[in-house]
Amino acid sequence: MRRIPWDLLLTLLAGLGLGLGYSWVISPARVTDAEPLALRTDFKDHYRSAIAAAYSATGNLPRAQARLSLLGDADPVEALNAQAQRMLGSGQSLEQADQVAALASALEQGITVEFTSTPVVQSVNTVVITATPPLDPSAVPSEITETPQPIETQATINAATPRPTRTPVPTVGAPFTLTGQESVCDPNLPDGLLQVIVFDSRRRQLAGAKIMITWDGGEEEFFTGLKPELGNGYADFIMEPDISYTVQLGAGSDIASGLTTSTCQISGRETFPGGIKLTFQQP
Amino acid sequence: MKSYRWIFIVLALLAGIGIGLAYGWIIDPVDFFDLTPDTLRGDYKSDYVLMVAEAYRVERDPGLAARRLGIFGTQSPATIAASGLAYARANGFSDSDIALMQELVTAMQAWSGIQ
Repeated sequence: MRRIPWDLLLTLLAGLGLGLGYSWVISPARVTDAEPLALRTDFKDHYRSAIAAAYSATGNLPRAQARLSLLGDADPVEALNAQAQRMLGSGQSLEQADQVAALASALEQGITVEFTSTPVVQSVNTVVITATPPLDPSAVPSEITETPQPIETQATINAATPRPTRTPVPTVGAPFTLTGQESVCDPNLPDGLLQVIVFDSRRRQLAGAKIMITWDGGEEEFFTGLKPELGNGYADFIMEPDISYTVQLGAGSDIASGLTTSTCQISGRETFPGGIKLTFQQP
Repeated sequence: MKSYRWIFIVLALLAGIGIGLAYGWIIDPVDFFDLTPDTLRGDYKSDYVLMVAEAYRVERDPGLAARRLGIFGTQSPATIAASGLAYARANGFSDSDIALMQELVTAMQAWSGIQ
């Protein structure tokens, strides 16, 4: 019976360890073909901004979705909303933050903004991929036809102008109209919760809108967009029972007055203070 | 006989090192995260340039387009855009996409000229 050459095996293993140590630790393979998924967080933000800017220009939602999927976000809408808030918070361009928020809003609503007069959106993405395809060609429409969108007015078709024009970003100070006021009896919400949702003229939730609430002997200001998980245009306030509140968004806007907690009762439960949901929109 | 043994040991060591390097560099290389955009694969870079071109087509802001391209590092925006365009031409992008990127390259060259 032949002896096992332990010395050779151990030497082979030692060489293997040296090779792995060199290739994994000392001199790992240089990255030249990374995917967007592996980008640093701040560069992912740049990538999302570029996707949003391209979407804002072309209105090609499937292409934007395909591009966003490359970043591997668990929830692209939430990632976009959070980024829009960060951009506003860090004083970046309101227009670029609005583009990011608009893409999030479009993804939520499944809106495809059409620009049939623009040759850009009639293109087919034909990126040739040698390995894993980053963009699914089947997900990108080969041709987009005009479909009027009832709540997205950004898509203006102008036969005389070959390019779509951007709708100006609404200013926070523009007057708002109170379009909805309803009592809310939801035992899962905090007692006396006053919810305010603010939309711009394009029916997109508007972040950063200042809300003034006053009551006998006090007043307070709060802003939309501080809870992006509930929507960019969402803000809330806890009302005390037996106090009448008045809510206004900037000078010239509608005033919601006489707001008090209501008395709610769900079957089998004691009564509890209900809330109010207000909806404001720029005309 | 003894000297032959040492030759085998050296050969085993070299074979081990070779297998280790092949495994670490080719079969299962290190997974990297927090990378910079200059490490992106060519098609992703080119698609990013296309995004910038699509936005530029409407925004008409060469400074903003240059800042967007600037994430790729030390190369000039015109060079980055031209690289994306070259990739697009070589890999069958649609004519309209190529036209957009060509427009961006021209704008970046002009923008670089006035900087």
